[in-house]
Amino acid sequence: MTLLLRRVRPEQVRELTLVFILVAVVAFFATQIPNYLAWQTFTDISTGLAIIAVAAVGQTLVVLTRNIDLSIGSVVGLVAYFVGTLLAGTPGMPAPAAFGIAIAMGGALGAVNGVIVAFGRVPAVVATLGTLAIYRVALVELSGAKTVTTDSLPAWLLNLPRMSVVSLGQLDVRPLVLLALAVVIVFQLVLSYLPYGRRLFAIGSNPDAARVAGLPVERDVFVAFLLSGALAGLAGFLFLVRFGNITVVAGQGLELQVVAAVVVGGVNIFGGSGSIVGALAGATLINVLQQSLIRWPAVSAFAQDAILGLLILLAVASDKVILGRLRTIWVQARRRDEERAAATAAEQATHGA
Amino acid sequence: MRIKHSTSLSLLAGLALVASACGGPAAAPSQSPTQAAATPTQAAATATAGGVAKATPGQSVKMMLLPKFLGILPFAQANKGAGDAAAELKNSTALAFVGPTADNSVQGQIEFMTNAATQGYKVVMISNNAGDQIAPAATAAQAAGVKVVAWDSPIPSAKGENLFVAQVDFNEMGKVMADMALSIMGADGGKFAILSASPDAANQNAWIKALNDALKDPKYAKVQLVDTVYGNDQSERSYTQAQALVAKYPDLKVIMAPTTVGIAAAAKAMQDGKMCDKVKVSGLGLPSEMVSYTINGCAPQFALWSFVDLGYLTYYTSYMLATGAIKGTEGEQFEAGRMGTFKITKDPTRSAGLRVLMGPFKIYDKTNVEAEAK
Amino acid sequence: MARDIFRRLVRWEGLLLAILAVIVVVTGIAVPGYLNPQNQINLLELSIEKAIVVLAMTFVIVSGEIDLSIASVMGLSAVLVAWLKEQGVPVEVGIIAALLVGALCGLFNGYWVAVIGLPSLAVTLAGLIGYRGAALLLVGDRSIGGFPEWFNRLGQQPLLGPFPLALMVFAVLLVGATVLLQFSGFGRYAYVVGSSPEVARFSGVRVRRVKLAVFAMSGVVSAFAGVLLLARLGAVRGSTAEGFELDIITMVLLGGVSIFGGSGTMAGVILSILVVLNLRNGLALANATGNTQAGVIGALLILSVLVPNLVAAARSRLGRGGSAEAAVIPKLSDL
Repeated sequence: MTLLLRRVRPEQVRELTLVFILVAVVAFFATQIPNYLAWQTFTDISTGLAIIAVAAVGQTLVVLTRNIDLSIGSVVGLVAYFVGTLLAGTPGMPAPAAFGIAIAMGGALGAVNGVIVAFGRVPAVVATLGTLAIYRVALVELSGAKTVTTDSLPAWLLNLPRMSVVSLGQLDVRPLVLLALAVVIVFQLVLSYLPYGRRLFAIGSNPDAARVAGLPVERDVFVAFLLSGALAGLAGFLFLVRFGNITVVAGQGLELQVVAAVVVGGVNIFGGSGSIVGALAGATLINVLQQSLIRWPAVSAFAQDAILGLLILLAVASDKVILGRLRTIWVQARRRDEERAAATAAEQATHGA
Repeated sequence: MRIKHSTSLSLLAGLALVASACGGPAAAPSQSPTQAAATPTQAAATATAGGVAKATPGQSVKMMLLPKFLGILPFAQANKGAGDAAAELKNSTALAFVGPTADNSVQGQIEFMTNAATQGYKVVMISNNAGDQIAPAATAAQAAGVKVVAWDSPIPSAKGENLFVAQVDFNEMGKVMADMALSIMGADGGKFAILSASPDAANQNAWIKALNDALKDPKYAKVQLVDTVYGNDQSERSYTQAQALVAKYPDLKVIMAPTTVGIAAAAKAMQDGKMCDKVKVSGLGLPSEMVSYTINGCAPQFALWSFVDLGYLTYYTSYMLATGAIKGTEGEQFEAGRMGTFKITKDPTRSAGLRVLMGPFKIYDKTNVEAEAK
Repeated sequence: MARDIFRRLVRWEGLLLAILAVIVVVTGIAVPGYLNPQNQINLLELSIEKAIVVLAMTFVIVSGEIDLSIASVMGLSAVLVAWLKEQGVPVEVGIIAALLVGALCGLFNGYWVAVIGLPSLAVTLAGLIGYRGAALLLVGDRSIGGFPEWFNRLGQQPLLGPFPLALMVFAVLLVGATVLLQFSGFGRYAYVVGSSPEVARFSGVRVRRVKLAVFAMSGVVSAFAGVLLLARLGAVRGSTAEGFELDIITMVLLGGVSIFGGSGTMAGVILSILVVLNLRNGLALANATGNTQAGVIGALLILSVLVPNLVAAARSRLGRGGSAEAAVIPKLSDL
């Protein structure tokens, strides 16, 4: 343990503390909820999580640059509605086309945010609070009070959430889940290894320094918003696939869930640090808490939110405490190592003499 | 378990749906207005010389139709009905169909109500989402000469409300839901749960309460209501709540969702989870949204009334009230165009308030849902 | 001369003042009833509780934090007064209890942020869910009304001339908040803490204490606003005041307060409140739906920052009028 700690900086394993908390949460609810540790629970929760996780990946990119994208809930709703209407109108449209249109439309909406923030120099909170309202307005006006109903959607779309990609006994892994997982992995790699990913950290840590150093700050921030929009568009597509019935309130409030996931996942809201995997862990933790609470027989519908608020706070706090503790241990271990090394060196020196 | 479908269009008019298999053939066309008059009649003598008031078309009345929020089908249908009535009555002032956004519904309705007096509206027709919180604003509007007619969802205390145009008898709604649950589960009964809109939707709460009262009847001894959860009229939330209900109660047989958003979401959740042969969905739904689930057996039976008719009747009532053709007092009778004659009575489902009862509503199953969905 | 006038216009408050003037003039001409004094009082009264919380939120954001839990605290305090009344506690006592609970909610938020060092976004997001949950726990699916006559009258009737109590309370709080933020040591600390906590610490400002005080103030003021809302509505449910936080934050930001802390003025904030409320009322009187109102305010929020930025950029490109950066509100354009 200490050996491991000496080599790995606590910041590098900060996602592990979240996983630890997650395991503790699951263990707790397993004692409370009958049949909790069933594959069905896994299937239910993981499929719902897929939508949040994809949106949270985009949000992470934006937050890393010391910005925020609050328009996500409206983008998800608007894309889900638009693509749903499109599919209802042209049932013959091939699946990849619908998929592509969703991403492109989300990307376009994200690009609008990006232009306003990166080139118009409007603070991201202001810009995306504005587009949060405007995109929702567009949805309401576009809808003409019609609902996208499952009936009007093509069969392949309706069958998608019921399909299993991997089916081991009772464990069903839905295509939605695999897709979300792929998105997480790809963007974690982008962030870790591509120059663009590394630049996002630099921009978020210190935008002015990044500018002075000649980084294309405006362009990179723009691209981050574009990607966030495109991923929200993808989330909108998943939303359509999963829920089928799309009304004007679709996705409302999703932005807060996504921001919560990112912040709980340890992405610094002031930019510069965090990871996609962390955001995924945060999204998972919040989702598991929510889904477990509504399955907990001991708790009434009216008590759930009070407990959820408290648990989220506890999760964030214990994450901080555990991380702080690890850092102390690490520092002590390092110091001991150094002392020992110094002692050895001194001994060798005296021997040599 | 075996599901028993009522095999023909069954109309509910005060009579409970028969629990045993086949409901008899429909006795009356669904538009039958006489059903409305067949409500508890009190003090009919106070009516104006027993006469039936008629509207005088062609007057100019500034009227506002204020739904809970804009952008969903039931309210758009009500607007259509109101528009039909406006055309029939040749009101030269256009009907304003305005409303708040879904996330600002309560505050927004209070604002529209307050502004109505400033704008010179004669009538505000409101599907109230603010509960009694709208009462002070409605009372102030009345004081400034605005008539307040509630439809779909009333002001619970009736303060600030001239009339409530009720789609169905709220107590009957409880019986209908109990009957549908029993009919779906069969004589053996079983457990069911309610998936409601939000904890403060006054009409939903009234129906749930009525359902609880109805369940005291020994007829429903084997029907057990185990839980009430809320999906906030969002597909996503309703969907996950339905999933959770099944996980929470492994022997659950029916999810009863008295909300059009909730019932569709719950049906999809059961279908996606391949649980339709175990857990059935019922409640209030729009035929166009439910047709496939009814055909494939996920939601064998559900109920609804016509929102077009509700908008029509509400407009007629409000027009007559604003033009003085009726005064909005108990016992008055009036003719509402194509829908026939209605009577203003005390609202037996609230401690105060006057009511115009539309009723009846329709039970949909696989025999009639397709025709209606078109 | 012309350039000086332009410069002053470009300053945030000047811009807001100009927008407000345009709204008032255009709406005054186009929409009958808008300039009616009763309508002017109505438009303030309909959102007065939000306006009151905006004042407290300004301190929070100036000091570099955010409080998303305000609307939930408003709801909780309103519910608490009603619930206590049901338990037989007089409303007067209930109000004091609600204010205390509001202060506790604020201090609770402040503790995790200032003492433990968690991000305020996370803490108050948990508060948003948790305090609302506490309100739901108390009332469930019920609605509580039937308050004493004096309480309803205070909330629903004019108190002095045509002015209801809440409007006068707001006026007093506005003066108080302005003095506190712009002319007191505490206000200066809030700015310093917001612009740079390190600088604040080195210059002897007790950062923790300032932040705790700011959050406690936010809690108390929200609770107070919740009580006023209760008196105006005469009834309460679990969802009372739900979703108010976005409106409130929008008004603060439109007022020129930087989300990163350290800048903004109370004058800008009050102008922003007036702009939003007048615009919304004018649109509503012109029969615009709530959806249109939301869209217009969203667009205004963006354009009010975007247009001056573009103008400044264009000017600097033309090589006139010196540095573009100086012309634009400096803090806002930073990021």
